[in-house]
Amino acid sequence: MTFVRRNVWQLGGDWSDPVLWYARGVAALKSRPLDDATSWRFYGAIHGIDPGLWRRLGYLLPSDRIPGAPVTSRFWQQCQHGSWYFLPWHRGYVLSFEALVRDAVMKAGGPEDWALPYWNYFKPNESALPPAFASPNWPDGQGDNPLFVAQRYGPYNDGNVHVPVAMINLNALGDPDFTGSGNGGSPGFGGIDTGFAHSGAVHGGVEAQPHDLVHGLVGGEDPATQLPGLMSDPDTAGLDPIFWLHHCNIDRLWEVWRQDRTHADPTDSRWIKGPASIGQRAFSMPLLGGKVWDYVPGDVRDIAKLGYRYDDLSPTIASTVLAQRVQRLGADVAPAGATQGGASVASDKDVELVGASTAPVPIVGSDIHTSVKLDAGVRSKVQSSLSAAPRVAKPDRVFLDLENVRGLSDATALQVYVGLPDGADPAAHPDRLAGSIALFGVRKASATGGEHAGSGLTFVLDISQVVDTLHLGHDLDVDQLGVRIVPVRPVPENAGISIGRISIVRQGG
Amino acid sequence: MTPSERERLRIRVPLLGTSAAAWIMLILWAEGPTVPVVCSPSIGSFPTLDAFGFALALNPPDALLTAWALMLAAMMGPTLLPPLRHVRGRTFSRRRLRATLAFVGGYATVWLVAGPALAAMTLALLLGARDAALPAGVALAWAWQSSPAKRRCLNGCHAMPHLAAFGTAADLDVLRFGLRQGGWCVGSCWALMLVCLLVPGGHIAAMAVVAIWAFLERLERPATPRWRPCPSVRPALIAAALARSHLGPLLRASSAK
Repeated sequence: MTFVRRNVWQLGGDWSDPVLWYARGVAALKSRPLDDATSWRFYGAIHGIDPGLWRRLGYLLPSDRIPGAPVTSRFWQQCQHGSWYFLPWHRGYVLSFEALVRDAVMKAGGPEDWALPYWNYFKPNESALPPAFASPNWPDGQGDNPLFVAQRYGPYNDGNVHVPVAMINLNALGDPDFTGSGNGGSPGFGGIDTGFAHSGAVHGGVEAQPHDLVHGLVGGEDPATQLPGLMSDPDTAGLDPIFWLHHCNIDRLWEVWRQDRTHADPTDSRWIKGPASIGQRAFSMPLLGGKVWDYVPGDVRDIAKLGYRYDDLSPTIASTVLAQRVQRLGADVAPAGATQGGASVASDKDVELVGASTAPVPIVGSDIHTSVKLDAGVRSKVQSSLSAAPRVAKPDRVFLDLENVRGLSDATALQVYVGLPDGADPAAHPDRLAGSIALFGVRKASATGGEHAGSGLTFVLDISQVVDTLHLGHDLDVDQLGVRIVPVRPVPENAGISIGRISIVRQGG
Repeated sequence: MTPSERERLRIRVPLLGTSAAAWIMLILWAEGPTVPVVCSPSIGSFPTLDAFGFALALNPPDALLTAWALMLAAMMGPTLLPPLRHVRGRTFSRRRLRATLAFVGGYATVWLVAGPALAAMTLALLLGARDAALPAGVALAWAWQSSPAKRRCLNGCHAMPHLAAFGTAADLDVLRFGLRQGGWCVGSCWALMLVCLLVPGGHIAAMAVVAIWAFLERLERPATPRWRPCPSVRPALIAAALARSHLGPLLRASSAK
């Protein structure tokens, strides 16, 4: 049987049958104790667990029995972030969870073809949290709806949970490469080549956008206590029932990306065989009946073999981005081959620093002004590349890197603008928007005694089109390029958010 | 080959080349008439102050320094791939060589300062514990390898700070980065190096074992510092997995012929 995952907004009504059965399945899993490997909280801990945070949020009680170290070290704290394993690990995770819920659904008399729905927040009028998740009540008015989570605060921390579509995008679908550079250039669609990375430093294209943003915008944080919403922090995200619909959509986007025949998953054996092949932790999921599924990325590439499909693999990839870029830069007709791949340019080998800020940038308040000092020589190289674009068809890709981003608030989301005129209203200049980022995972990445030794996260924003605009307007011939950072919500000082360095990087031949 | 792999290769080739050259020089030196005291403190069957005085007379400070620098390049060179990649990626192209040298200078300075301290500790153990010096060194290393402090140092080796890009600030930042990396590296490896210095014979082989272990330790993911009942055996597992991964296909191919 092939299970079909469908759009949650198009199942028919707020409490369609698949959603109602999902709620019943979730209720069954939630009724199991923490030390049951098929329980709701055990599966949440597979993604991540911070016992202190769980206690404060009421998800870890003194009466809970914590499984022994052999169990926790095998299963807990496994989620792969900042890694080319991000997509395959989460695919196995969602698949295993779906099987547990389906079993609970069937035991409750539900359909045996039940499949997890996905939440496609990009569709018009579907960016709000699906109603069944927003109500504390079951459809009959009973007040213990298991899909409801009190710790969802939304983008503006006012409880209006939705995803502002202007803050998310599908640009990653245009990246021709699955994996990319860890040195400031494109990290690729799926992330950079790492070992087992529970909290990697550089998030891949689709991981940063829309994945991270949706986490941060849905979760938000408690305005009174500043504790994160469940979705905002990797250590609590798996406890929110909407998490699974979000990741179902991210998994769907992987399939969308693969629709382009020029796009391909990595063929490197280290990716196919996973981190266990180099002596690191294996990807392990507990299943029903005490069984365990150890899997590698190579096992989960083909969803047909895994027995499921999606009802809709739109949007199709915008394959004209490069052609548009080249045309905009002066060509009458896009050069041959320019439309292949769909990214702002085909992948290139050389990654080179163009400029950098001269001091760390603290993120406090609602509007942060800073600048990047440019190296005249390398800037000229970029300008030459853009000027030559009509003839050579390969303008440099340019990236804005926010390096060593540290802090305590994973719910922080920032919009970053480049080259805004002095005193301009950022909202009036969408053409200068470098991108939006959410600091999903920043707390763990900033812990000096933790995995990252306190180095924080690095975000890579493709600003090629903004730079094209600046170039065409003769605004690129400057020593300093202004950067404006506009937090979605004002950032308090005690969130401790800072950016170690902001740099501009070119990637070209 | 992935872009990251390509970047790693750009650094790995000169790094491994330097390390290999240092190993060759050490091996050739060990076969010569004088073996530097830092590599083989035990002259004859039993170490005494006189023996050490004799050894020092045979090994003047410049020879000791050279030997120590060679040991450093040979053993620790391969562990420098991640920080050098970080330096390269965060630096303007035209400054990459200069930044690399500043980083290596800072890193080596810490080890060169640590060298005499380790030699003194070796001497103290040899004089104080006599025949039990090696077991005492192994016990000390065992305790250190199991400690949270060791883990903290190993985690510190994974820290990749922000680096200034322009002018003197850029030079100072990479120098500081090198000093810090050197500090974490000494903290992580000093106990293993001590055992290496205490081994009475076959010190080149002992150095090779320690170098491989130190390299594999860096491939471990950072973990929460805490006391462990015994040192992590994860490097051995990594070695086994790498051997399986790399040698397996070769062995299968040769048996298929």
